[in-house]
Amino acid sequence: MKKNIFLISVFAITTFFGCTKDDRMHIRIWHQMRVEERVVMERQLARFMESRPEIRVEMLYKETEQLRNDFVIAAYARQGPEIVYGPSDMIGLLATLDVIRPLEQYFDEDYLGHFHETAKVWYEGHLYQLADKLGNHLALVYNKDIVAEPPETTDELIEIGKKVTVDRTGSGRIDQYGLVWNYTEPFFYVPFLAGFGGWVMDEAQERPTLNTDANVRALNFIQELRDVHRIVPREADYEIADALFKEGRAGMIINGDWSWGGYISAGLNIGVAPIPRVSETGLWASPMVSTKGFSINENIDDDKLTVVLEIIMFLNEPDNHLEATREVKTFPTRIETYDHPVVTEDPILINSKRQIDVGKPMPIVPELRAIWDSMRPHYQMVLNGRKSAEDAARDMQLLAERKIIEMLE
Amino acid sequence: MLENNRKLFPYILILPAALVMIGVVFYPFIYNVVLSFSNMSLRNFREWQIIGLDQYYKVFFEPSEPSFYTIFLKTMIWTVANVTFHVVIGVMLAMMLNRQIKGKSVFRTLLILPWAIPQYIVALTWRGMFNYEYGSINLIITKYLGLPAVEWLRSPTEAFLAVILTNIWLGFPFMMVIALGGLQSISHEFYEAADIDGASAWQKFKNITIPLLRPVMIPAITLGIIWTFNNINVIWLVTNGGEPADQTHILVSYVYRAAFGLYRYGYAAALSMVIFFILLIFSLTFMKKTQATKAAY
Repeated sequence: MKKNIFLISVFAITTFFGCTKDDRMHIRIWHQMRVEERVVMERQLARFMESRPEIRVEMLYKETEQLRNDFVIAAYARQGPEIVYGPSDMIGLLATLDVIRPLEQYFDEDYLGHFHETAKVWYEGHLYQLADKLGNHLALVYNKDIVAEPPETTDELIEIGKKVTVDRTGSGRIDQYGLVWNYTEPFFYVPFLAGFGGWVMDEAQERPTLNTDANVRALNFIQELRDVHRIVPREADYEIADALFKEGRAGMIINGDWSWGGYISAGLNIGVAPIPRVSETGLWASPMVSTKGFSINENIDDDKLTVVLEIIMFLNEPDNHLEATREVKTFPTRIETYDHPVVTEDPILINSKRQIDVGKPMPIVPELRAIWDSMRPHYQMVLNGRKSAEDAARDMQLLAERKIIEMLE
Repeated sequence: MLENNRKLFPYILILPAALVMIGVVFYPFIYNVVLSFSNMSLRNFREWQIIGLDQYYKVFFEPSEPSFYTIFLKTMIWTVANVTFHVVIGVMLAMMLNRQIKGKSVFRTLLILPWAIPQYIVALTWRGMFNYEYGSINLIITKYLGLPAVEWLRSPTEAFLAVILTNIWLGFPFMMVIALGGLQSISHEFYEAADIDGASAWQKFKNITIPLLRPVMIPAITLGIIWTFNNINVIWLVTNGGEPADQTHILVSYVYRAAFGLYRYGYAAALSMVIFFILLIFSLTFMKKTQATKAAY
């Protein structure tokens, strides 16, 4: 008995002294940044914590959809991180669900004046996100060792694509494709929808606009790229397209600014160019342009709020924007940085800006989700030959209208 | 006093477990029941109200694409196909491992491997293997069998077949391990007596192995059916969320899309309750019909 009491006492004492109390204030950031972006922010936060040793900032990665869902669930239970960092298209949803705070009360006009207009994400009269990255957009990335000059039009795209699509071994299997991208996903299809003169929603961002001649022509165009011109693989999701490009088995890829740093790190000699104009219409193929930035949890404690604002302002200092731009090739939102050589002399950023200029703002209303879910099945039916483009455009519209009604029930 | 303490003691022992069960099972379940009668959605997130049976009506009668009944049929096909192959392959391999063969422990380890690898990794690996141009399955089909390549992930039927194949590979080790345990507990005396009576291998299997394996396999099959019916991971990852064209959904992936894609929390809760009752009725009927709790000896 005495022996047992002794052992229990030893266990209790070692447990008690083994745990040291952490008096620092903990601030959590949930984000969906890829590794390259994450490393830069972690370094910046380490500097912040060095200057403020009483604060500990923790970052937690979640895949984009998981980030949105987990944050909604956590905030509903009055929990969750103090800061949520992500793309602006989730703002409409989070604001509608009342899980993020309006920010205009915390940042004065003078301060906000230092940011690009697009970086201030307003929804229904309130500022809900302050972005540090502008773009989050697709562009044409080409391997300079395979494609010397990027195409300016879709006719040139097809011409170059045919030249560099090769079966070196004569086995009947293509060893190198002209163009690869995640073309079965509507987000990656939208630039061409815009290039044919269409868009996903009307200007008021209320009704879907999918049953259009532009959509029919764009759907046929994608199918022809694959089945008639044969410059894209029969099947390519994001991972396959990315792997083919990284392995030097594709001349061009359509991918977002989040991926470019990875291609450079992989040793590829890349160039970035705007996705070509559609020859038939003369219009630019316009990707959706959005932002990535910081929002604050509605349930944040008042004592933490001051620190959270301090962190957001620290991470939005011009030098920190430039650091990310230099390393990850994302476009900053602080206007003071736009004259800096890091921005003005880097050909990738110059062309990224060209793409941003011809892109279209991504709708931030929650209904966009219903539109993606309505486009995807019918678009894929066109690609697998089970539906004509005309029928698909009509059915996309009907389904989107129905899903929006269901969503807003 | 001492007698009372004795009576109380078992309850004190189960109290921590009971509290955890209340927190993580009963409370969410009751909350889900309440939500299924509510209008909780994107527009009614914080201030939802009880609206009666509307969400249940929508589950059964609201026009949707694909419809509840189509998805239910697919879920049945998915469950029956998977569990049948899990049991048949599992029992066959268990019988093989139950014999005296060389390298038995190596085979046993290799056959358990699919179970040991995280589902996430397995599902994404199989997705890569089903790729039309670069996947190993089509390479084998075209190069070694001389057959045309199959568009596994682009056509609805083939995609559904692909995801079933993946889950069969993932699921048979569980049944194999259970069956092996059951086989090892069968006394050799039964087989020796049958040999003396001149019974054939099939007669021994039918009259000794199957009846004596039954008490072990029926609960495992019931569990297998419930797990497979609710297995969202494989479907979601191999088909990239129901592709092509939402044709590879099962009920549980459809619930996920309703709840986290369209934020129809009330509707998703009602659909979850329907799934719960389907499985409850099935499990009770199955256990009763198969007399799973009846002693073998």
